[in-house]
Amino acid sequence: MRPDTPKVLFGIAGQLIMQIMPEVRTPIAGQTLTLSAALLSMVAQEFDRAASRLVEENRSVRTLLAASRDTVSEQALRSRIDAETADMHEHDFHVSALQAVNDRLRSLLIDVHAAVETTPGEAAAGLNERIWDELKESTRRRHLASGLA
Amino acid sequence: MEPELAKYLTSKIPGSTGMAISNVFRIPGGASRETWMFDAAWEENGESRSEAFILRKDPPASLLASQRELEYAFYRAFEDSGVPVPRMRWIENGSEALGAPFFIMERILGCDSNTTRIQDAEYAPVRDAIARRMYEIMAEIHDFDWKGTAIEEVLAPPAPGECWKRELDHWEQVINENELSPQPIARAAIRWLRANPPPPPDRVTVVHADYRVGNFLYTVKGIHGVVDWEMAHLGDPLEDLAWSFMEAWEWTRDGRKGGIIWAEDAIRIYEEASGTKVNREALHWWDVFGSVKGQAIWLTGARSFQDGKTAELMMPFTSYWLINFQDEIMLRAMGRGA
Repeated sequence: MRPDTPKVLFGIAGQLIMQIMPEVRTPIAGQTLTLSAALLSMVAQEFDRAASRLVEENRSVRTLLAASRDTVSEQALRSRIDAETADMHEHDFHVSALQAVNDRLRSLLIDVHAAVETTPGEAAAGLNERIWDELKESTRRRHLASGLA
Repeated sequence: MEPELAKYLTSKIPGSTGMAISNVFRIPGGASRETWMFDAAWEENGESRSEAFILRKDPPASLLASQRELEYAFYRAFEDSGVPVPRMRWIENGSEALGAPFFIMERILGCDSNTTRIQDAEYAPVRDAIARRMYEIMAEIHDFDWKGTAIEEVLAPPAPGECWKRELDHWEQVINENELSPQPIARAAIRWLRANPPPPPDRVTVVHADYRVGNFLYTVKGIHGVVDWEMAHLGDPLEDLAWSFMEAWEWTRDGRKGGIIWAEDAIRIYEEASGTKVNREALHWWDVFGSVKGQAIWLTGARSFQDGKTAELMMPFTSYWLINFQDEIMLRAMGRGA
């Protein structure tokens, strides 16, 4: 057994601040060290959750896209929705692969959102609200404990 | 860099000999250009002379693709105006002297500039006065008659009705060119901005475009220099007011803008100083716009680092720190946030 990756990264960040920072002589070096430590802390959080976050979000966006299929009228957009929702499961759990899927799905979500905004009727209005809820949820998924927010 | 600076200044200061450069330090921050401080001492006509300078040098890549000559022109235009700015000395568009284009300005000594120092107890008795002065200076920037100045030589003014569109087109293009992943919140904001344009401003003014706590030099005696003019342009003055209010600059996280003033107080001071009435709906448009612009800036930094154009850790740091936060701010600006 070896230490968890986040534990190691947090450990390096702590050593940078506690052991190295007192030896730093210039403001720019101090800034670089502070940024390094802060980045390590944020990357540590992201390392642990990235796959989980992407799987959850991809599932959520696919479900939303599937629900929007009958509301959007443009055939080309429907075809893209069909293609992206034909298989609702992930098959490659590398973060880079999950991110590539996420990029495709969110790109399609942008186009669906734009179409829904200009579509009259209660179904479109309801779908619009669901998309906004998903966008809000997407920021919650990405929230980091350190940083401004 | 000392020998190169000594050679350069000797060539620029007629009759100077024995040029000695000291205290060369890079100043943290400077997300668009490397900012260095240095001191120079020399002999001139038998007398010893010395001056303190700031060097702003182009980096390989940055958060902004800003134009050096524009920034220099804005500084020059405001010299000897009521708006305090450091005096410009030299600009070099070639890379021969220091390996990259740069400009050099006089250094205003003894000032603070960072966003946290103003929260120290030392500043408590004068913080309100500094905040008032901040918005009085904003009004002075907007009152400045730019016609016939260096600004007009480098920039064509937009028609009043084009101000919003010119800025939105520009920053949407920046997002198009730099996003590493789709940005559904920013895209929704852009659609809203295009569908709900603000009324034309009564006047086209200088817009500093990054006017906030952190971009002026201050002491307990007040504000001594407005800096970081790299995004300055001609446009709608409300852009500056809204930008100074952005949630990302609420350094004390208690709703005070810039961590020093409530929005309504700032608006009242600005209205008194400028003699104008702030259109709240237009201000809201520029608030949403500011979030889009902010996101475009963070995305540019992310792209620069991802593409290997820069190794500056500020770029991934702002990506991890601010891109999602900016999305949260954008949602709140559009009434869709928590």
